[in-house]
Amino acid sequence: MLTAAGLGVGFLPEPGRRVAVVEGVDLCLRAGRTTALVGESGCGKSVTAAALGGLLPRGLARDRGEIRWANGIPCRPGRGLAYVFQDPGECLDPVFTIGSQIRETLPPEERGQARARMAALLRTVGFAEPERVLASYPHQLSGGMQQRAMLAMALASRPRVLVADEPTTALDVTVQAKILRLLADLQRLENLAVLLITHNLGVVAEIADEVHVMYAGRTVESGPVELLRNPRHPYVRGLLQALPQLAGSAERLAGIEGSVPSPGRRPAGCRFHPRCAEARALCREKEPELRSCAAGHAVACWACAEGGWA
Amino acid sequence: MSRPLLEVANLRVAYGAGWRRVEAVRGVSFEIARGRCLGVVGESGSGKSTLARAILALEDRVSGRIEFAGQDVLALDRAAKRAFRRRAQMVFQDPLGSLNPRVQAGAALAEVLRVHGLAGTRAEAARQTADWLETVGLDPAYAGRFPHELSGGQRQRVNLARALCVGAEFLVADGPVSSLDVSVQAQILNLLKSLQETRGITWMLIGHDLAVMRHMADEVLVMKAGEVVERGPAADVLARPLQAYTRELLDAAPDVARALDRRAAAAASLELNRGPVPEQDVPA
Repeated sequence: MLTAAGLGVGFLPEPGRRVAVVEGVDLCLRAGRTTALVGESGCGKSVTAAALGGLLPRGLARDRGEIRWANGIPCRPGRGLAYVFQDPGECLDPVFTIGSQIRETLPPEERGQARARMAALLRTVGFAEPERVLASYPHQLSGGMQQRAMLAMALASRPRVLVADEPTTALDVTVQAKILRLLADLQRLENLAVLLITHNLGVVAEIADEVHVMYAGRTVESGPVELLRNPRHPYVRGLLQALPQLAGSAERLAGIEGSVPSPGRRPAGCRFHPRCAEARALCREKEPELRSCAAGHAVACWACAEGGWA
Repeated sequence: MSRPLLEVANLRVAYGAGWRRVEAVRGVSFEIARGRCLGVVGESGSGKSTLARAILALEDRVSGRIEFAGQDVLALDRAAKRAFRRRAQMVFQDPLGSLNPRVQAGAALAEVLRVHGLAGTRAEAARQTADWLETVGLDPAYAGRFPHELSGGQRQRVNLARALCVGAEFLVADGPVSSLDVSVQAQILNLLKSLQETRGITWMLIGHDLAVMRHMADEVLVMKAGEVVERGPAADVLARPLQAYTRELLDAAPDVARALDRRAAAAASLELNRGPVPEQDVPA
């Protein structure tokens, strides 16, 4: 549906100087599939997502790579993409009703039968009484209902790609489960390509088809969601080991020491080497490239490169 | 066995009056033994944070009985309350919101030490501050940093040091890791655990992440609408819940291994049920 190749986002603190925030990210979003972008904060997931729709904040520019639709047409910023963000309370305007806010996002040709279309949209996202919701103000809705309203608003423009940036992080677990199920249903019903940005690997395992794990602005491992069973990259393994499991015990968790380097302070060689237990001399000198290691599964790590440690 | 450190019986907390009166906590009873960790889980609005505030004598309209180390918390006078607050402290969810942005980490700790009369001189306060920072795994050089110069995990460590430095033996942590990344979360959880083991700290851990509770808590309390729905050893409650509500929470919790198994099973059954594709269903 939408492919991004070699995506790079830079921050230009002064003329002639560029600090790379995101480098060489390839994404391929397919209709009816959910692709997840995961990583810790500061890894560039949200920046990548914002770059797709041309929503980068001032000071950041997408200056590498290209974004194209499947038919080869370059993607114009904001066309065919819709976003849902983490905090629905902050995205909704408190002084307007839900109805008037959804109406704004309807394409002009549909404004004529706006009420019927809005009611249909709200029904799609699981509201039994759309009329009542249309007349409500955001504060009259719960967090889960606000997020549903945001989804309805996102669907109003008939997007082909839905970008959901931490859509359930602010919600309770039972509500989160409902919103995730809704997201999966919408994706199938509307044949949407969904890009899910989250730091919660549990959420990824629940609904994603493909995973891209990012670290310090680069993709370190990507492939079908089953890769989480047996990840190759030490960073991904570390993330999984740090995650408390329901079926786990009361033992100590194996965390990843240190923290994500900020853009501009990224180390030479493999970016993960200062935190990696398996790092060797080569890792400190040369940056590994993302290489395919199985069908659809790619890893950027010297230890997993062809032949392993040579 | 000696008496538990904290005993709570039929605790009720109300807000508002007349027709607006709402009971946020409705008759909760439990106890925590010294050196143990009690996990309190529930969704937002279940009254778990109100319960925490009530136990630390931060709520006014409380009825029932709270006994901390044999003392009736609800009947403390001002001086006794101050002594109680030294022994029982709270760590909040938002580490940035609970630190003054204009006060350096070291100064924040020194202030607490001074208020409680634990450090007479400036040099003494600086020495103790450095010790506490080290206890929570921070380089004493961080004393000169402002909150915005610290990462989320480091801020939470400063908060822990601030709670511990007055000699707290009982800590209530309200979602201490819910705003942190998993790798940092694991570091902080390990720190909480080692404080429990080495210093005998008694914890009350509040949160909604059941997997975190499985790792940290000795016992869990599941709350819904101000009442305790289920209570028992963490290993039992989270593995074999007896109440439908607990099961519902467990089912909703995203878990990598379980989700992948569930999806693999669904895909396999789909394959089985589908069988060979009938001829007429294939589009031309």
